[in-house]
Amino acid sequence: MHKFVAIVGTNSDKSTNRKLLQFMQKHFAKQAEIELVEIKDLPLFNKPADKQIPATAQAIADQIDQADGVIISTPEYDHSAPAVLMNALEWLSYYIHPFADKPVMIIGASYGALGTSRAQEHLRQILDSPELRARIMPSSEFLLGHSLQAFDDDGNMIDQTKLAKLAGLFRDFETFVDLTKQLNHANEANRQEIRDLDWANL
Amino acid sequence: MKLVGIAGSVADKSYNRMLLKYIASHFGDEADIELLDINDVPLFNQSDDQTEGDAVQYLKRKIEHADGIIIATPEHNHTITASLKSVIEWLSFKIHPMAGKPVMIVGASYYDQGSSRAQLNLRQILESPGVDAVVMPGNEFLLGDVKTAFDDQQNLKDERTVSFLKTTLEKFLKFVTVINDMNKPEDPGWEAEDLESHGKVETTVEGVDMHAADWVEKAAEKTHAAEGDDYVKLDRGLLTVNQLNYFLNSMPMELTYADANNQFIYYNHFLEAKDMLAARTPAQAGNPMADCHPKPAIPHVKQVIHMLRTGKTDMFRLPVPGMGADKYVMHYYKAMHDADGDYKGINELVLDIMPMVNYYLEHTGQMLVKDPDAETDAVSGASSRSKAAEKPAKPEVDEVSGASADAEPTAEPEKPAKPDVDEVSGASSNS
Ligand SMILES: Cc1cc2nc3c(=O)[nH]c(=O)nc-3n(C[C@H](O)[C@H](O)[C@H](O)COP(=O)(O)O)c2cc1C
Ligand SMILES: Cc1cc2nc3c(=O)[nH]c(=O)nc-3n(C[C@H](O)[C@H](O)[C@H](O)COP(=O)(O)O)c2cc1C
Repeated sequence: MHKFVAIVGTNSDKSTNRKLLQFMQKHFAKQAEIELVEIKDLPLFNKPADKQIPATAQAIADQIDQADGVIISTPEYDHSAPAVLMNALEWLSYYIHPFADKPVMIIGASYGALGTSRAQEHLRQILDSPELRARIMPSSEFLLGHSLQAFDDDGNMIDQTKLAKLAGLFRDFETFVDLTKQLNHANEANRQEIRDLDWANL
Repeated sequence: MKLVGIAGSVADKSYNRMLLKYIASHFGDEADIELLDINDVPLFNQSDDQTEGDAVQYLKRKIEHADGIIIATPEHNHTITASLKSVIEWLSFKIHPMAGKPVMIVGASYYDQGSSRAQLNLRQILESPGVDAVVMPGNEFLLGDVKTAFDDQQNLKDERTVSFLKTTLEKFLKFVTVINDMNKPEDPGWEAEDLESHGKVETTVEGVDMHAADWVEKAAEKTHAAEGDDYVKLDRGLLTVNQLNYFLNSMPMELTYADANNQFIYYNHFLEAKDMLAARTPAQAGNPMADCHPKPAIPHVKQVIHMLRTGKTDMFRLPVPGMGADKYVMHYYKAMHDADGDYKGINELVLDIMPMVNYYLEHTGQMLVKDPDAETDAVSGASSRSKAAEKPAKPEVDEVSGASADAEPTAEPEKPAKPDVDEVSGASSNS
């Protein structure tokens, strides 16, 4: 059974993105083990000269290391990913590289109709940067619009068409994870390149 | 022009901050650029609203008072920093101080292509509806290889870079002018001036009847006003309230303070009303300005206030005849502003300038001679009015009277010489 880490891309107490991940955790429980990860306790990234990474960031990095893949559910703030998610990714690329070659599935929920399309595009661009080098599942997008109305009182997704799409994508992601395991010929080189990236000595 | 600069970093050392500092000091002649600190802004959290906190309010205030913003962005993971994004989120959540503000984006990065992606991202973020800033199109100032770009004095080394930066900044200054001009709210016009003082400004004393004869006493009690030997710290000096009164009451002119809410809140009371050039009584202090003017004068009073409030003029001069041929009484209406340039009301100065003129003539051995080419006959204008002044009914109070007549106030002989219409005289030439 696959083991996934699911990052809640917000520090908001009431989040439809958290709801979405909680729903997936429950709904796909027979297929995969999904562990929710919160990023709200990370301090604001300030590029510390001593290269010290907070223990909370290191803990998340370790969880990611041990997972087969990462699911990130992002809200959309100002047509982009929220600062708190960008902040987590800054820590998770500062002299540690848990995302290198890690399969990632991007999803998102928003109050409006568009369902975080722009934030997901932004997140894709970030995860693709040389310090992160994640393996983002290509040509797939799960946009949950009108997210405040998307779940019933038990936290189940109401729209069955949407749910079918999500289930399909989740299956695809599992396949993608397995495929990625075979795309391993450059892993070592990638890791080396990333380790050589040292901002302080550029 | 007033600009604010924000460097998107909370690290101890930031080349983007260095770049902004360089811009602020090197181009100080072209614009007044103030750097804003974002170190104390907490990471945005919708569930822990810090909009009213000091750090966000400080940014809001500074941005609202600025004509434009320069943002210097680092690039982290091909996008802007979380610290900068967090600031933008606070400024687009409950408040929107960047809406309509002209923004110039610059960026410094360790790489040669540095910050181009972050700049593109930032542009997109700033243009989203919650932020709604107006980003200058086209120009991109990218400072790559930034670790070698500055000398020991933190000046940019490369001449061509400096000259490109200058061109970009000059373009931005023009852009700021154009955008702010476009955004100017439709001027509601002078008719909207409220002489009944229904509005309120931050100094308005609420809950005290403006019309009351003892408004001063009541308002003083309500505000626990300093008095007598209490000290007041001033720019620049320290006086007691008594000393302030000695000082203001010995000014060789009549002074009146009308605040931005058009409330008449002070005059230097050293004469009885009957001996004043523009009569005021102690009971009038606190009145809305409408109370101090005869109805026909109101439109012209409004016009003058509006010109001062909107900055069309900083001082409005008005000779007010009617006090006898030996006097030449001038009313000066001077706009008052705070340090941010916000309108704070009118200082009205009334004085007879003839003693000064006579002193000058006497001490320089000269005399007044009529100019044969003169178009307006000020002296005769004045004396024709003096007939009116002989009548017992002196205009009640005429502070902002006859407003718009700056050009030729006394040249309207067809006006009836009736004192309370007198205020209106020559009014319409400016409207
Ligand atoms: C500062 C701020 C900016 C926002 N900007 C957007 C936006 O650009 N697009 C959008 O669809 N919703 C926007 N929203 C609304 C919702 O927060 C957003 O739809 C979000 O994805 C909901 O996710 P959540 O339920 O997990 O918090 C914004 C909210 C905040 C507080
Ligand atoms: C986590 C992290 C990610 C970075 N990613 C980039 C990047 O994608 N592109 C880049 O040009 N510099 C990157 N840098 C290097 C510098 O921080 C960056 O060039 C920055 O713009 C320098 O400006 P500053 O001195 O104002 O922080 C990164 C640094 C860190 C710590």
